[in-house]
Amino acid sequence: MKRNSGKSDRLTRHEREGLQFISLWITGFIILRLFPAVFSFIFSFSDYSLFGGISEWGMMNYEKIAGDITIITSLFTTLEYSLITVPLRLLTAFGVALLLNRNIKGMAFFRTVFYIPSVLGSSVAVAILWTALFRNDGTANALLSSLGLPEVNWLSEKGSAMFVISLLRIWQFGSSMVVFLTALRSVPRDLYESAEIDGAGKVRRFTSITLPFISPAIFFNIITQIGLAMQEFNAPFVITKGGPRGSTTLISLLIYNSAFQMRDLGLSCALTWVFFIILSVLIAVIFSTQKHWVFYADETEEL
Amino acid sequence: MKTHLLRIAALASAVLLTASAVSCTGSGNAQKRISFSWWGGESRHEATMNAVKAFEEKHEDIKIDVKFGAWDGWEDAMTAAFYAGTQTDIVQINWNWLDVFNSDGSLFLDLNTVSDYLDLSGYTEAELDPCTFDGKLEAVPVSLTGRIFYWNRTVFEKAGLDVPSTLKELYNAGEVFREKLGEDCYPLALAEYDRMMLMVYYLGAQYGKPWIEDGKLNYTEDEICKGVEFIDSLEKGHVIPSIAEISGDGSITFDRSPKWMNGEYAGIFEWDSAASKYQNALEGNGDFVVGDYFSDFGKYDGGYSKISLAFAVSAKTAHPEECAEFLDFILNDPEGTALMGVERGIPINRNAVSVCDAAELLKGIEKEANDKVLANAGFSFDIKFEDPKLKTSPEGIYYDAFSGLSYGEYSTEKTAKIISDGVKNVLGETGK
Repeated sequence: MKRNSGKSDRLTRHEREGLQFISLWITGFIILRLFPAVFSFIFSFSDYSLFGGISEWGMMNYEKIAGDITIITSLFTTLEYSLITVPLRLLTAFGVALLLNRNIKGMAFFRTVFYIPSVLGSSVAVAILWTALFRNDGTANALLSSLGLPEVNWLSEKGSAMFVISLLRIWQFGSSMVVFLTALRSVPRDLYESAEIDGAGKVRRFTSITLPFISPAIFFNIITQIGLAMQEFNAPFVITKGGPRGSTTLISLLIYNSAFQMRDLGLSCALTWVFFIILSVLIAVIFSTQKHWVFYADETEEL
Repeated sequence: MKTHLLRIAALASAVLLTASAVSCTGSGNAQKRISFSWWGGESRHEATMNAVKAFEEKHEDIKIDVKFGAWDGWEDAMTAAFYAGTQTDIVQINWNWLDVFNSDGSLFLDLNTVSDYLDLSGYTEAELDPCTFDGKLEAVPVSLTGRIFYWNRTVFEKAGLDVPSTLKELYNAGEVFREKLGEDCYPLALAEYDRMMLMVYYLGAQYGKPWIEDGKLNYTEDEICKGVEFIDSLEKGHVIPSIAEISGDGSITFDRSPKWMNGEYAGIFEWDSAASKYQNALEGNGDFVVGDYFSDFGKYDGGYSKISLAFAVSAKTAHPEECAEFLDFILNDPEGTALMGVERGIPINRNAVSVCDAAELLKGIEKEANDKVLANAGFSFDIKFEDPKLKTSPEGIYYDAFSGLSYGEYSTEKTAKIISDGVKNVLGETGK
């Protein structure tokens, strides 16, 4: 009886200590995540103006979102941006990871070099540099001129402005590359040797060994990159200001403009929730497909 | 458990001791602390800091905590401060902030309540009226400003022309620039908001009535369309570059545009108080001159003026009298006004004007521009003219209308309708 009681006390103390350890995180979660989420959900049903307060409650913001061409265009622009940048960024990262997955002298140097853009991150400074590269009298046009090609209005034409902000995201492929590289290096060498002895060609080895083994890494990269691309803010905010004519106004920029420029906090909150639902559905759909194409090594062992 | 209790007790004692030590220091000196914030450039910071120091020397019982920075990002920071209620005691404000941030009138102190400490005799009632709402004086205006042409005369001379003094000469300059200086050179550069401004000035000169009167838009869609056609004709006549061309420069404002610096854009239509910024951007590579309003613009003086900025006192301040004393020092006192100079434009306050005049501060390009602006200003801007729903980039109505026109997405009629509906919506008229 006495021993049981002591054990129970110790367990309680452990639990208490555990709670103490995560109490900071819980506090942060409540203040920085839960409270704003609940706050934004409630106020998404109001006409909350940043300085005018609330005069009306209802579905007006959601009705506006459903009928406002600017908002719908922005949602499609965000999807377009994600559909351009995620595949191209992952293909670039994978291609470079394949090249760097060789045991050649000095390879560590090249790995570092390719990772540098990601260290710089999607910072404002890099975005400003990007503007300087692509403005009418910038380096990109100077390069085109020197090759005898016509100059392009990179920042002021709809298609090219989207290209400029997409290129910045694709260029910063380092983090995805590191994930691919780690996955590639974890593929057992003996499998390749066995396959080679069995007469498998390079393509067959790639499709039957490499791809299945790195599929969890591909899955991880797709999920994280879609999440990040859909939330992109810095590039359109600094480089194009959402222009020309709203062609690069991604949804996060629209949320910011609604709240802090137009002072329409209610609409901004509703936009956030609509965007959250769209992103959640998208991620859920991708998750549901994983059982068809993602191969986990421990699953085979169980089989 | 006992150890825990002891630790908590020790920590609590330490916090209490520190707090009491801090409060003792404060009460020992009996010094009152007030805070003051403003935006501006280096020279304004320097002048204001000197005035703050001089005031503190005169009033040893008052300490002023200052907060200042450049305009970029300042409005966003102040938006957050006003929303959170963390604004300074004395705030330099944009005139339209009285409408945008203070629509219920609770943010700023009624300065009539501290008129024993703040002498308002340097202003006429009409001058204080734009800052008075429901009988409450919510801020004191510092200076008046308006838009005016500035030219880089060196570029015009290169094209064999003098700076334009009529609209006809401006149209001609567009053609001559194209022929002699090249497709990329323009006599004037106007971004979306500048176009709106110039259109309103043009319509004022044409019709002789203010843009907004008694809280209502004073122009019909057909009249606005005439103004839009005028702006469109400038772009078509190679007088101004297209919005696409300006966006392609990758600069937020013309004073940062390489095309302004190297003379490809030879003119701007800007606030008179912004002269030095554009002059400095030329770095001595051009003869920067103040232009005249065009004599053939219309038969009326269609110019506008507005309060460039004002000082307000937070309603939350614990020391309203001290705040008023400081404002009195920088707005009326001979020493304070001399130190503040004309860094915030040519003062409205007559006491400050006589001090600046005696100190020979009322000269130079700002004075010349301000004189021309005020001489031509037949009207005052309504406070709603700069409402965020109209003025902000890129979501505001002015930006949408004029970039849509320039990109060929809107006809002149549709542009006029967008402006008319947008303004009426902000003014609370039914509009459509």
